[in-house]
Amino acid sequence: MNYKELIDQLSEKTGNTKTGTKKILQDAITVLSEQLEDGKGVSIPDLGTFSTRITPERKVYNPHFDAEMMVPKKRVVEFSPATGLKEEVKYLGKENE
Amino acid sequence: MSEKITFKELVELIAKQSEQSQSSANSFISELVDIIESGLKSDGQVSISGFGKFELRWMKERTGTNPQTGEQITIPGQNKVVFKPFKALREGVNTPYAHLETTVIDPEKTSKKEVPNVASAPSKEVKASPVNNTGSNETIDDLIIERENPLRKEKKESEPAVAATVASAVKPNPKLVKEVQDKGSFNWSFAAAGIIALLAFLLLFYIIQRTPDTDRTQVSEQIETPVLPNGDAAVQPSDEPSEVIDEPPIEAESSQRGEFDLESIQITPGQSLWTIAEAELGNAYLWPLIYHLNQDIIDNPNQIPVNTNLQIPVISNPDDLNEFELDQVARGYLSLYQWNRENNPDEARFFLWAVGVFSTDLLENLPSEVDAEDLAFAVSR
Repeated sequence: MNYKELIDQLSEKTGNTKTGTKKILQDAITVLSEQLEDGKGVSIPDLGTFSTRITPERKVYNPHFDAEMMVPKKRVVEFSPATGLKEEVKYLGKENE
Repeated sequence: MSEKITFKELVELIAKQSEQSQSSANSFISELVDIIESGLKSDGQVSISGFGKFELRWMKERTGTNPQTGEQITIPGQNKVVFKPFKALREGVNTPYAHLETTVIDPEKTSKKEVPNVASAPSKEVKASPVNNTGSNETIDDLIIERENPLRKEKKESEPAVAATVASAVKPNPKLVKEVQDKGSFNWSFAAAGIIALLAFLLLFYIIQRTPDTDRTQVSEQIETPVLPNGDAAVQPSDEPSEVIDEPPIEAESSQRGEFDLESIQITPGQSLWTIAEAELGNAYLWPLIYHLNQDIIDNPNQIPVNTNLQIPVISNPDDLNEFELDQVARGYLSLYQWNRENNPDEARFFLWAVGVFSTDLLENLPSEVDAEDLAFAVSR
């Protein structure tokens, strides 16, 4: 599902215009992103938990330059899906396997 | 990170931001969650512009150990929901560490403190001008030294074409790093070692560099760079290491064909002629061939247009090219020579030299006029 389809369905459900829906969605994203940028996590019911984590620096091998390189530590976003969502999609499309 | 805000706080903040009641913000979010879930079920993925993409990833069946009993169990294949943040969010979240750069590890010296500082300063400059290395005088100064050394030395020893360096704006950096390490303990902070200081250093090193002749080649043989090519755009920096390997099987065997079978591929973001040649032809050094065959759509070989189709020749064996293929690669280098004559005259002669590596015939019978000095340089190799 792409962004446009998401906005279409969301505006249909909320009865808001597409422009209005888009704005609220972007506001929500802004708020959520700001929290993550501050290093704060948040749980959204039925969806999952967003949090940040620091990946330590690590060595990698770059074959192009035939050199070992040190990738610095980084703060990354982590998402762990809510149990309900996880179970819902677990065997989706793979029921026969 | 352990710090968290509650969902209630989040809703309050969203309500405030979008100037609506908390209850409507709350129901908005729960509608959103429903739609994300249904999108995952129907398409397996949901993209949210400005944020990221949720998608399902199938995890294959695997064996694991029950941590309580220690017994082996089979974990059946299942879908996992993954969230991939888009660039803006990734960078926003990484802001506190954004100043850290990937650095080359020098196996001999482990003076890590020095490496990041010195390495990060010049790499910033390179980023600032990824296409034209005319961006900073320092880099060019350094480039010139870097390149001339191996050439002169080789001539003296009259060795068969050893790896010669054609150009790399990033390559000088490691040399600088090494220089600094060799010469002792310059521990400059990134902020302090501004561009001017850097220029001064480079000039200093340039002077020091001129004296010990033997030392140079050793340094230039090292191919390393503190800058990872970052694949954000379909930009191929002109500082591409167009180094040519010692493979002049010019008396190649038969199986000569008049033209290539062509395949068409679409350019995706992050690709360069170099990476395409590596992936499609099996040898990155053959990239001029692709340029040669696609000159109508490639204006600048360092910047190829995303989403257009390239004609890729089918090559029998990248390690053993036939005469026709060698000739075509040489012609590719010749086209690049001509392009560089106009756009990057300082480096053009190396492309002309590469023409001779692939086809001495072509270099001896050039179809068009070339600069006499460049030709002398190319032939003398």
